[in-house]
Amino acid sequence: MLDFSALEPPTLHSLPSSVEPHLFAAPSFQLPAVADLDGFQKAAVQMVKPAKGTTTLAFVFKHGVIVAADSRASMGNYISSQSVKKILEINPYLLGTMAGGAADCQFWQRNLGTRCRLHELANKRRISVTGASKLLANTLYSYRGMGLSMGTMIAGWDETGPGLYYVDSEGGRVKGTRFSVGSGSTYAYGVLDTGFNWDMSIDEAVELARRAIYHATFRDGASGGVVSVYYVGPAGWKKMSGDDVGELHYSYYPVQEAPAEAEMGEA
Amino acid sequence: MSITSYNGSALIAMVGKDCFAIASDRRLGVNFQTIACDFQRIFKIHDTLYIGLSGLATDVQTMHQRLQFRHKLYQLREERNMRPETFASLVSAILYEKRFGPYFCEPIIAGLNEDGTPFICTTDLIGAKQLSKDFVVSGTASESLYGACESMYKPDLGPDELFEVISQALLSSVDRDCISGWGGIVHVVTPGQVVTKTLKGRMD
Repeated sequence: MLDFSALEPPTLHSLPSSVEPHLFAAPSFQLPAVADLDGFQKAAVQMVKPAKGTTTLAFVFKHGVIVAADSRASMGNYISSQSVKKILEINPYLLGTMAGGAADCQFWQRNLGTRCRLHELANKRRISVTGASKLLANTLYSYRGMGLSMGTMIAGWDETGPGLYYVDSEGGRVKGTRFSVGSGSTYAYGVLDTGFNWDMSIDEAVELARRAIYHATFRDGASGGVVSVYYVGPAGWKKMSGDDVGELHYSYYPVQEAPAEAEMGEA
Repeated sequence: MSITSYNGSALIAMVGKDCFAIASDRRLGVNFQTIACDFQRIFKIHDTLYIGLSGLATDVQTMHQRLQFRHKLYQLREERNMRPETFASLVSAILYEKRFGPYFCEPIIAGLNEDGTPFICTTDLIGAKQLSKDFVVSGTASESLYGACESMYKPDLGPDELFEVISQALLSSVDRDCISGWGGIVHVVTPGQVVTKTLKGRMD
């Protein structure tokens, strides 16, 4: 394990580990007591390995950051839920997205929220998006190879303006202005890249994000359910819409009165 | 992913009072990617005999072509249409021919006997016939389909009610399966006519 004590925020007094040790210590997990730990870990990774069946996206534009996601959870071909919250509210000005293992994303992003709050208390100011994403990335790096599966975007607004980072369970962390993560990401990119304009209004940006996720749910079997769109501005995040994709399809493409569909002709 | 869930499919056939209904989803996909929403899985053999094929799409099309060929030949030789039980035996024989390199499809056969009583049966991919009095299902969502049919089915339904029941069973089942759905099509067959309707379902 690398020594990160130098990166801990400076404090006037020594860490009050005697007072509330569980708040400051990193969560610790017991390792299984098996002879072949590597083999066991490998099998565990395969068992837990969800295929990142989802579509999430986030982009920066003139007025801030838009974050959008679908709401389907799939276990193989089975749809286990159509109403999963994939945009996690870390604090009133920071959002995280969920792709990969639901448990991993929920736990570590809540843990990130805790550490961001501790940073605020220790430094009397909010943590930056850069700092928050770095905290998460460092945590995930220390669990590298142990089978965590997360492809998450950290989006927020701090003193430097809008911020967007992509952080994943391989330990990667990239700053950017446009990301889409998940099995439906390629379809979302197609719509997003074509329709993007830096000077869009907030409503236009929200509609672009909604459309991009909708198209991904149409083409990708592992994405679906409800499209949620959030906007992050100077005052923090705001949920802009949550539309059921089943109904959204027919509002974009109404059923036309057509004669009997052309069927495959006799061979 | 298994070869039988490469393209994704869902099929039901149900028996009513002097009628039957056969329904399928319309999706053609490649693993998780949806390619088409108008793929034909139910084929008419003659006016009162339909076959639905689930599984690998290429085998669905090939099986249909082979069966259509054999039925046309039968019509020329016998100067009449095939009875549903005979056709089911034909399907079973054609599938067993490929016992050690099978077609990856599981057909459901639905027809009306000469006396107007409905006949449905299904076979597995190597030809094991399974007759049924009430309903048969096939496809990647088959477990969901069994559950939905079991709870929604009632015997001796008329054509309109049968249409409602089979549609609801199909749509609710494919909404729990990532790789089937994207619309539906239902044929309700009575001795005098066939009513075909497309279903407006979730396109995700």
